[in-house]
Amino acid sequence: MKRWIATTPWASRGLILILMALTLLPFLSMLSAALAPSGTYPSGLEWPEAPAWGNFARAWEVANMGALLWSSTLIVLGTVPAAVLFATMAGFGLARLTAGRGRWFYLVFVLGLTLPFEAVITPLYYEILALGLLNTRLAIILPLIGLFMPFSVYWMRAHFLNVPADLSEAAQLDGARRWQEFLLVQVPLARPAIMSLSILLFLWTWNQFLLPVVLVQDPDRRTMAGALGAFQGQWGTDIPLLCAGSLIILAPTVILFLIFQRQFVAALLQVAVKG
Amino acid sequence: MAGLTLRDVRKTYGGAEVIRGVDLEIAEGEFTVFVGPSGCGKSTLLRMIAGLEEISDGEIEIGGEVVNDVEARDRGVAMVFQSYALYPHMTVAENMGFGLRLAKVPKPERAKAVEEAARILQMEHLLDRRPAQLSGGQRQRVAIGRAITRQPEVFLFDEPLSNLDAALRMDMRMELAALHRDLKATMIYVTHDQVEAMTLADRIVVLDKGVVQQVGSPLDLYDRPVNVFVAGFIGSPRMNLIEVRVDRADAAGAVVSGADLAERAIPGLRVEAGETLTLGIRPHALRAVPDGPLRGTVDLIERLGHETVAGLRLPGGAQVTAALGGRTPLKIGEPATLDFDDEELHVFGPDGEAIRFRD
Repeated sequence: MKRWIATTPWASRGLILILMALTLLPFLSMLSAALAPSGTYPSGLEWPEAPAWGNFARAWEVANMGALLWSSTLIVLGTVPAAVLFATMAGFGLARLTAGRGRWFYLVFVLGLTLPFEAVITPLYYEILALGLLNTRLAIILPLIGLFMPFSVYWMRAHFLNVPADLSEAAQLDGARRWQEFLLVQVPLARPAIMSLSILLFLWTWNQFLLPVVLVQDPDRRTMAGALGAFQGQWGTDIPLLCAGSLIILAPTVILFLIFQRQFVAALLQVAVKG
Repeated sequence: MAGLTLRDVRKTYGGAEVIRGVDLEIAEGEFTVFVGPSGCGKSTLLRMIAGLEEISDGEIEIGGEVVNDVEARDRGVAMVFQSYALYPHMTVAENMGFGLRLAKVPKPERAKAVEEAARILQMEHLLDRRPAQLSGGQRQRVAIGRAITRQPEVFLFDEPLSNLDAALRMDMRMELAALHRDLKATMIYVTHDQVEAMTLADRIVVLDKGVVQQVGSPLDLYDRPVNVFVAGFIGSPRMNLIEVRVDRADAAGAVVSGADLAERAIPGLRVEAGETLTLGIRPHALRAVPDGPLRGTVDLIERLGHETVAGLRLPGGAQVTAALGGRTPLKIGEPATLDFDDEELHVFGPDGEAIRFRD
C-alpha cells in the first residue's frame, strides 16, 4: 500500500484532495448557510445570490460575542497556566522523585484518564453549589484544572521519564538542589512538551461546552463554545445566524492553529505515539 | 584536594550483593583506575563515592570526613559521565559555569574560571556553542571542563572515553594524563579497557563480582597478578593459561606436565605431587624455537608489522597466543614449537591464587 502511494504520486495527490474536500465541505456548507438571508432555511450547499455578510455582525451583536471572547480568554488564562504548572511539577515528581511504593500514586492519575467528563458532571454541580461558586467563572476554571490533571500529568511524566538520568545526576553533582534542577535544567528542557500541552489544553478549554452550560447560568460568563447553547435556544430557528455565530466561535482556534501549526502537529503526533 | 578511604563498603540491590566489602585507601593527588569486566561493580562503586547511590553498609570518607549521609552536591566531587550529560539548552560556557552559578559565584569570577578551564582544554573558541553543535570529542572536553571549573576535591570519571572512536580515545587519554599532571588532583577513573587503565593509572584497582581482586601499580599487576582473574584481565593479548599436573616435587622444585605441555621442571616451586596447577605465560614471553615444551598447530596469524600475533592449537585443546617477531616465518595449518623462560612463568594453585616461587 505504502509503495503504491509512493510510486504513484497522482493517486496519492488525488486521495489527499478527496480528504481535503471531505474536511472542508461542512465548513463551506456552513459558510453558504451563514450567508443566506436571516430567517430563511438554506437548502444545503448553495451560494446565495445576495450574500448576507451582515449576518456575522448581527450574530456578533446578538450573542454578545465581545463579552464572550473576553470571558473565554479569562477562563483560558485561569485554567491553562495553572494546569500546566501543576502537571509539570507532578509529572517531574512522579517520574523522578517517587520510587517503589510511591508508584501507586501514579496509578490514581492513570485511573483518572478513564473517567469521562460527563460521568462527574452531576456530583460536580452539587460540589460547586456547596462551594458557592455556581454561576462564576471559577465554576469552570477549577473543575477544568482538576479534570485536565490525569492527562496532563501523564503527558509530563512521559516527557520527564525520557530525559536521561545522567542530566539529573550531573545537576546534583554541580550542586543543584531539587528545585534548582527542576527550574534550571528540567523545565527548560521540557519546553516542547509544555508547549504542546498548553496548546492542547487551550483547545480543550476553548471548546469546552458541557461545563459552562451546566454550571454557569449567565451566558456572558461562559466560553464562546458554551455560548452556542444559549444562542441555539434563542435563535434555534434562525439557521443562517447560528451558522454565522459558529463560524465566529471557530475563528480564534483556526487563527491559533495557523500561527502554531507546527507545534499543533507535533503535539498531535506525540499523542499518537505516547498516548 | 583530598584523599579517600573506603571501609568495608557494601551495596545490595534487593538481596543481591553487588559490592561485597571494599576496603581502599586513595591518596591525595593519586590517579586511581577501577577496572573490571562489565557488571563487576566498578561503576556502582564510583557512583557510591559520588553520592548517586546509597551505601548499604560500610563507610566512605572524603578528606577525612565520613560522607555516607552527605548529599552528592555537598561532597566536593565532580563527575564526567560516559554520556557527557551536558545541558543541551545551555552554551558551553554556561554548562561549564553552571556549578559556580549555583554556588552564587559572581559573574566576573565565574567567567574567569570558565576561561581558565577552556584555556587548559584548548577550547576557548567553543564557549558560545551549544552541545548539539559539538563533536563527540569536543563534548567530552566540555564535560571535563565543567568538572575543572568546580575545583572539586575529587574528580570522578565514568568510562569517559567509551563513546569516542579509537584515534580520539588515544588523544584524549594522553590529554587526561597531562591534565592530571597539571592539576595534581585526586582522580578516580572507571573503565573496562585495561589499556586505558595501564596507561593512565598511578594505581589500578581490579574488581570482579563486587570484590577487589588486586590493587597495585600497573606494572605490579602485570608482573605479579595475585590470581588467575587478574592475570587474564591485565595485559593484551591476554595471558595464556595452561592446565598441568605436578609429576614430581621436592625441595629443589617441581616437574610438571600436561596434555598441552611437555615435561617441564620449575625450580623453586613448592607444591605437592599430584596437584593440578595452572601455568600462566604472557604472549610476549613466548618465542618460536625449533624444539620446545609447547607444540601445536598454527591456526591464526595476525601480521602487525612490528610483531606477529600467532594462535596455536595445542594437542590438549588449549589455545595459546604468542606475540612473536614481526617477520617470524609461520604458516597457518603448519606445526610450530614455542618456548619461554622460567622467569616469565606464573603459577596458580587449584584455587586460582598465585603461587610465588621466585623472589
